[in-house]
Amino acid sequence: MKVSVFGCELSGLVTASALAQTGNQVIGLPIGNARVEDLRQAMMPREEPGLSQLVKNQMAEGSLLFEEDWRVGVKHGEVLILSMPSWRLERAEEVIEKIGQYATEDVLVVNQSSFPIGTADRFEAKLRLAFAERGLVAKVSVVAMPEFISEGSALSDFIAPDRIVLGSHNAQSIKKIRDLMRPFNRITDQVKVMSTRAAEYTKYAVNALLATRISLVNELANNAEHFDIDMEEVRQGLGSDGRIGFSYLYPGCGFGGPSFASDVKNLVETLESKGYDADLLKTVLSNNETQKEVLFRKAWRFFNTDLKGKTIAIWGLSFKPNTSTVENAPSMKTIEALVAQGAKVKVYDPKAMPDFAVQWTGAPGVELVETMYDALEDADAVFLMTEWKMFWSPDYQLMKSKMKTPVIFDGRNIYDKDVLKEHGFRYFGVGRGESV
Amino acid sequence: MGVEKSSAWKALSSHADDGAASALLMDLFSDSGRSERFSIELEEMFLDYSKNRITDKTLELLLDLAEQQELSEWIVKLLNGDEVNDTEHRPAMHAALRAGGLNVQGKALEVQDDIESEFNKMALIVDRIRSGHWRGYSGKPITDVVNIGVGGSDLGPLMMTNALQTIKSPINLHFISSIDGTQTSNILKNLNQETTLFLLASKSFTTIDTLSNAETAKDWLAEVIDDSNTLLSQHFIGVSTKPDMMTEWGVPPENQLIFWDWVGGRYSMWSTIGLPIALQIGMDGFREMLEGASVMDQHFGSAPLSQNIPVLMGLIDVWNINFLDIHAKAILPYDARLKYLPSYFEQLVMESNGKAVNRDGEKVAYKTCPILWGEVGPNAQHAFYQLLHQGTQAVMCDFIAPVERDDFDAHGLSEKDGSLRYQHELALANCFAQSRVLMLGDAAIPDAIKEQFNSPFKHYPGNQPSNTILLKSISAKTMGMLVALYEHKTFVESVIWEINPFDQWGVELGKLIAKETHSALKDTNKAEEFDASTQSLIKRVI
Repeated sequence: MKVSVFGCELSGLVTASALAQTGNQVIGLPIGNARVEDLRQAMMPREEPGLSQLVKNQMAEGSLLFEEDWRVGVKHGEVLILSMPSWRLERAEEVIEKIGQYATEDVLVVNQSSFPIGTADRFEAKLRLAFAERGLVAKVSVVAMPEFISEGSALSDFIAPDRIVLGSHNAQSIKKIRDLMRPFNRITDQVKVMSTRAAEYTKYAVNALLATRISLVNELANNAEHFDIDMEEVRQGLGSDGRIGFSYLYPGCGFGGPSFASDVKNLVETLESKGYDADLLKTVLSNNETQKEVLFRKAWRFFNTDLKGKTIAIWGLSFKPNTSTVENAPSMKTIEALVAQGAKVKVYDPKAMPDFAVQWTGAPGVELVETMYDALEDADAVFLMTEWKMFWSPDYQLMKSKMKTPVIFDGRNIYDKDVLKEHGFRYFGVGRGESV
Repeated sequence: MGVEKSSAWKALSSHADDGAASALLMDLFSDSGRSERFSIELEEMFLDYSKNRITDKTLELLLDLAEQQELSEWIVKLLNGDEVNDTEHRPAMHAALRAGGLNVQGKALEVQDDIESEFNKMALIVDRIRSGHWRGYSGKPITDVVNIGVGGSDLGPLMMTNALQTIKSPINLHFISSIDGTQTSNILKNLNQETTLFLLASKSFTTIDTLSNAETAKDWLAEVIDDSNTLLSQHFIGVSTKPDMMTEWGVPPENQLIFWDWVGGRYSMWSTIGLPIALQIGMDGFREMLEGASVMDQHFGSAPLSQNIPVLMGLIDVWNINFLDIHAKAILPYDARLKYLPSYFEQLVMESNGKAVNRDGEKVAYKTCPILWGEVGPNAQHAFYQLLHQGTQAVMCDFIAPVERDDFDAHGLSEKDGSLRYQHELALANCFAQSRVLMLGDAAIPDAIKEQFNSPFKHYPGNQPSNTILLKSISAKTMGMLVALYEHKTFVESVIWEINPFDQWGVELGKLIAKETHSALKDTNKAEEFDASTQSLIKRVI
């Protein structure tokens, strides 16, 4: 099938390269910052496991091209996919205008982006109007197919999805997209067909529910501390309940990243602007912002409100492992809070240093270091902010020899409090360890 | 010799007797140039004083009186920081607080460095709180700031933060002033100890009202904070002229902001007492307010008396009070954001000039400060305007309104913008209509409906004098100008009346007797000397 993918950020590139791999002729068209020259050399806007290699391979195969001119994309694709960040709605409108101007036959548009509810219907109406004005007799269909990929596992999420949500009232379109997605829908039928609006809402609802679950677990964990309860034990008890399950039950120092939280925020804003209720979701978001500083607060109390001149090592900057992104990451708020109190921070992250450096290079009190152990030099405490695999089993003796005082604030609960105690560390997790 | 025996005063008396006192505003307006002649503009402020029962001759004689009373010299003394508060032997240098080093001399110049360094300390505190980096005991950012203060330590910040409420602030402000504790218990119900910071604002740091509320706040915090050092260092800031007293109470030095005894309580909003204002609008906004006031100070210090807004307003009030026998003044802002402005001016004007003894300690033989009160104009129209229009008491009025509003888009196309624009027009229309009816009375009634008003109950005598002040908009700058205008106008009147506007001995005795009464509430034997009425009241409450 001939496919054009508008948008060459993470989601667009994953879609384009995965579809190219399964035999489609795909053209990727950047709509934002990504540059065609870079893409043609497989330079990715974000580091993502396996993506760059796959893009390179498909370009070599000739099944994936990148083009500047949107008209080329409009002419090429039997299926036109919009795959953009939620804040790129204006660019999507422009793409729709271009399609309206240059399409010459039936048009099938698939929107993967998290735009406001009703956007797919609106785009379809817009295209119909454009065709009518041109006197073009052609069918128009806009299908909502929200993406459910996560940074760090984006390719595998696309290739082996939990479900494929298709929102459309048009049986022909559904048939065609089903066929396009057939290679990723092998074991059992994962396709859920529904109305376009229901499909769009599903994406928001999934993120809203996950965010709520995380924030609730965090609140339970924070309070477990007050009763000297280890939340890890409680997590076992909770997860074994079939109605609850184990996923998204880890307490920690909050969620971040460019899309997850902003989807929920967009939903809240949409609801509020129309005067609808969003009380719970608003609380979820504000709880999460507070949770991002949970380690700061523990240290604040541990050091008796006096962090001036203290040195804090930061292990992990990205909002989660296997990504180089620090956008909205708990580490950002935490570092800002520490520095504002006159503390010095020494930061280390295996992948996110360049992204971090953009904003923080030269900031007073912030030192970027080369290795995880360099960060510990003369440190009064270490904050574990991102659970990169390399942090799981550190050399405790080496740690102790570097640090001024062996104190660990574990924002992802990856360490064993008893083991650390044996090694002579003070240990503070989220809902476990010592409480302050 | 009192001023009432002076030649300039007598000249005004004769002028009044010769017909000026009985002149009708309606007739005075047959002079077509009147409105232009009797109005004046200064940057973003416009004053129309033409609706006063004055003529060119009246103004000439008033200016003679000012000259005779050496007003220009007094203005210089005030602005240079001479000892104008003679009963307390100190200057009154509120203008020095906002001079920013500009055109400032004498003692007022000497204190500029102190002022700037304290404002710099204040700026650091403001930035820390507004940026979310002032933390409560648990490490959460402070979100709510409660100002505990009374009189000048309350009204200025309360009035100004309300006036500038459309400026979005990251901090929620609350004000506690009254000694009875009901405000305190009410406000604390909705606050969280983790995120609440108290400002203790007291010039002397002995004010029982403030300290008793502060103790209640401390007890409330101690319900959840074990460590008393943390409780004090993270949850209290002190603002006072008495650092020792603040330290003794427990406010750590780094949380202390000072001002000086040469700042009168009712003029202290311009000092570090203005901290809540800076928290609301930022330190830059606070400095804009100071600059606005400084514009008025510069004008007051340099414009010829005949073109000097505070001088003209003060002299016209003197004319109204001493020669037209008008002893009440209403402050009528036509914008709900200015709802505390009347209370603020009540304190400023009546605490300054509500006195009957001149600077030599002699009882004066003329009226001084009028009863001053007010209310947001459109609300007052449904209340005491009845008295303004038809009562037996003559009242002079100051109408105050913004020309533009910044809380909606003046050119916005939305229905809400349209409605707000319409409401603003309505407010201005009401403002102008009221001053016109007060001036013209029955003559304002259109001929077509005159018949309907043919009744003694529908008679409007009119001839009530008023000023109208238009501000371009309500901003930090224009509010600074407006308040400084009233401060200086009040000073002008005091110079004519030969009284010291900067002391307030009248409020002292009551405070003292309250202490005695308080001990009588604890021990009724001590009430035996009291009058029978007080004794019986005490019996009812113990």
